[in-house]
Amino acid sequence: MIDYSYDANKEKELVEASLNGDKSAFGEIVNRYQKMVARTVKGMLGDSVFSEDIGQEVFIKLFYSLSDFRGEAKLSTYIQKIAVNLTLNEIKRRKRFFSMFSQKANNEMYEFEIAEQDTEERREASEIVNKALMAMDTKFRVILTMRMLQGYSTKETAEILDMPVGTVLSRLSRAQEQLRSILLKL
Amino acid sequence: MNKSEIKKLIISSLDRDVDTKEIAGKLEEAGVSYNFSQTFGDKVLNKLFSAGVTIGREVEFVKYMNVAFYRIALTGVAAIVILLISIFLMQGSLSVDSFLGLGNTHDESIICLLTGN
Repeated sequence: MIDYSYDANKEKELVEASLNGDKSAFGEIVNRYQKMVARTVKGMLGDSVFSEDIGQEVFIKLFYSLSDFRGEAKLSTYIQKIAVNLTLNEIKRRKRFFSMFSQKANNEMYEFEIAEQDTEERREASEIVNKALMAMDTKFRVILTMRMLQGYSTKETAEILDMPVGTVLSRLSRAQEQLRSILLKL
Repeated sequence: MNKSEIKKLIISSLDRDVDTKEIAGKLEEAGVSYNFSQTFGDKVLNKLFSAGVTIGREVEFVKYMNVAFYRIALTGVAAIVILLISIFLMQGSLSVDSFLGLGNTHDESIICLLTGN
């Protein structure tokens, strides 16, 4: 199950200790949020070694920008924003690269692995979700990732993506239309 | 969970009034989960606290440079303001002539100065 427990005091302590150079405190932050970052990065980019690199970049960027974190929002929201921005940058970079050097279709830019130890049913579920995500436009994919994989509400999604709630709502219905036509083919 | 149930769940995650946390939980139970490798945390910490020391120093250096830039820039702006005030007080205006130190000099006096007559 996704862990949504949140302890503001503990979080603040961890941030302060990390700012003072406490390696184990930052290690705790990484352990707490790596799964959340994995959902965002791998959900949007597919499951490849590059996703892990982006994941590492997220935490390195977090480390160097911790002093800018004022604690007004949850640390998870702050990390999520970094993860979304870095992932969107990577998608843009890939699009530029593929448009210049390759004739691959949009959804072929991504790859995903499915855990071998999983049952057939679990593998199928994972495959459907990944294929649907990769076939979607980036602006819809990010919203689907936030809601379907992270379980964020419309308001939380809007906050993370720095866009008005109205924009998220209008994208929800358009994304759903696109998703329906994608899922029909799967 | 079968294929059509998964599809329904995915589509419903984009409904406006739906418990997205419940959907995310159900999908994870159905096998849709994402993880980095087991050594992910160690790799991040190694990059930051061993190889990353030099990066840290570089970042510190850039930060110091930024602070130094603001200080130098502010000093420069202050000097320019003082210069403008002193020119205005001495010459009575901020025209180009005043900047050149010619604000109170008539054309005839310049000719006298240049020719010596």
